[in-house]
Amino acid sequence: MHNLSGLARAAAIASQPEARVSELRQESGRPIIGYLCCFAPPEIISAAGAIPYRITGRPGEPTAEADAYLEPYGCSYVRNVFTQALKGRLDFLDGLVISHSCDLVQRLYGIWTYYHPFPYSRLFNVPHQVTPWAERFFKRELGFFKESLEQFTGQAVTAEKLREEIDLANRNRALIRELYQLRLKNPPLIKGSEMLSLLLAGGWLPAEEFNTLLNEALEEVEARSPEGTPRPRILVWGSLLDNIAFYRMIEEAGGEVAADDTCIGFRLFEKDIPATGDPDEGLKEHYFVNFQCPRTDRGPGTGRFDYLLERAREYNVDGVISYIISFCDPHKFDYPDLRDYLKEADFPMLLIDDNYSFTPAGTIQTRLQAFIELLAR
Amino acid sequence: MGQRQGEKITGSNPVVVAGIDVGSLSAEAVLLKDGRVVTFSIIPTGADSRKAAEKALTAAMESAGLQFDDLAVIVATGYGRISIPFAHKRITEITCHGRGAFYLDPAVRTVIDIGGQDSKVIRLNQQGKVLDFAMNDKCAAGTGRFLEVMATALEVELENLAALSDQAVRAISISSTCTVFAETEVVSLLAGGADRAEIARGLHESIAARTSSLVYRVGLDEAVMMTGGVAKNSAVVKALEEKLQLRIIVPPEPQIAGALGAALLAWEDCCAAGTT
Repeated sequence: MHNLSGLARAAAIASQPEARVSELRQESGRPIIGYLCCFAPPEIISAAGAIPYRITGRPGEPTAEADAYLEPYGCSYVRNVFTQALKGRLDFLDGLVISHSCDLVQRLYGIWTYYHPFPYSRLFNVPHQVTPWAERFFKRELGFFKESLEQFTGQAVTAEKLREEIDLANRNRALIRELYQLRLKNPPLIKGSEMLSLLLAGGWLPAEEFNTLLNEALEEVEARSPEGTPRPRILVWGSLLDNIAFYRMIEEAGGEVAADDTCIGFRLFEKDIPATGDPDEGLKEHYFVNFQCPRTDRGPGTGRFDYLLERAREYNVDGVISYIISFCDPHKFDYPDLRDYLKEADFPMLLIDDNYSFTPAGTIQTRLQAFIELLAR
Repeated sequence: MGQRQGEKITGSNPVVVAGIDVGSLSAEAVLLKDGRVVTFSIIPTGADSRKAAEKALTAAMESAGLQFDDLAVIVATGYGRISIPFAHKRITEITCHGRGAFYLDPAVRTVIDIGGQDSKVIRLNQQGKVLDFAMNDKCAAGTGRFLEVMATALEVELENLAALSDQAVRAISISSTCTVFAETEVVSLLAGGADRAEIARGLHESIAARTSSLVYRVGLDEAVMMTGGVAKNSAVVKALEEKLQLRIIVPPEPQIAGALGAALLAWEDCCAAGTT
């Protein structure tokens, strides 16, 4: 893997995501802390001297193990992740941080740590509305999170150390935005599946190494010249996509994923963490106030979707595909409003409701292809 | 049948194109000569999509006295479209059913297609272009397969299911939408001495209820046409008309709408621009 670079390296990392962090742990003894969802800042984990690791599932794998512990109404992603844990595949983790993003993820924390206690574990509490007092709450929560990590690693999270980590991660963000700029071209210079494979690698690498990877990829992609005839451009909106399989399906059906709004996608990287005197202030803005996950109630009215319409226009997309993992209430409840709002602006929308398996492939493929035919005509 | 390349034909000889629709239960082929339907065929799909496509096409060609080499363009559709190596183009059944229905009646704005294992609702604009569509979820509830299973449970031929339902003055409502659970429900109703005709009517109403929610999801616009094999069941059509409070157009051969659309798209692809 070490002789690969850029996009090829990103693709290789996906086959064994924990390889690099395990290596680092052996070299340095720094503990690996796994996290789910985007609210607990990995920058804090790094600043405390630990190695953050984004936990992902294995779509399509049967979840019989987790089904014994979780009720059937729970989403298949959570079942899938818990199956990985029950199979011992996440035993390399020294710690676990789960944000209260949705109820099932919170419950997962309880069940997981009950059956498998970690040397370090924390449930990171996140308010569901953005109000001045909720912002204060979030900042306090950041403080408690820091303290708990300091106790575990024995390293103080100083404002200076945290700022360094934020700078490194913001460098990731700047490079990712440069890559997204190359998607404005028609056809885009970088495929949606390639972009996602880079972003995923970012969750499994330290920020510094991610910067190297992004620089390599950027050089590689900038050297490309636009190839082939333009195909319908798609923006993908939805819940978690931690595997490139779905983007591949869109690409095979004749579409081009030109932009996205998913949680391991542009949601995390669209903006920098603001540089503030007190780093917690910037973290709060980025991870709470501005983070566009429908699990946070932003009140009635469609103003909450304006950013998405702007993005659809900026990336000149022809339509929007919504990928929602079955039973993801926060996304499912937002869907009808969003569909009507986008329809009004002449962006057709397709809903793919999937149990985190991308099957039956034929049925999903037919929907994708029909939608792309509709956009092409 | 081997792989062949599509070639644009502009001579004075009549141009023949084919549309093939390989669905889960049946396969259809439609042949067009200079843009007009010359013949069609309908056969059961069986286990091999490719063979079904070949058989359907051969049957259609034989009835029209045509050879494979006479076909200028072949467009495949249906879930088996990917396994037809001799097709020049593969287009989804959504686009094809929309195109076929619009050709059959240009007043159509909503197409309800219920086939062997899926059901879909397609919204068209005034030019016949697909605006939106919705498909049933993953299972076969409310499709042709559902009716087949229920006909067996009621010990009636599939063709006679509608007639049986017509005998009932009321319907026994069936609450399970899942085919397997609904079958269990029917069996226990029968064991309890319930009237077969009333159960049949209840089953047709349950399909109508399920389909109507799909219709409301994409929005209803008249005229409405029903295509696919289930459109041949008059009791489903009647129950759906009552549910939606409107008249539904059923073409004489609702099963071939997909293959017809595929053939029309093949014709447009190859020659329509030059001739019309």
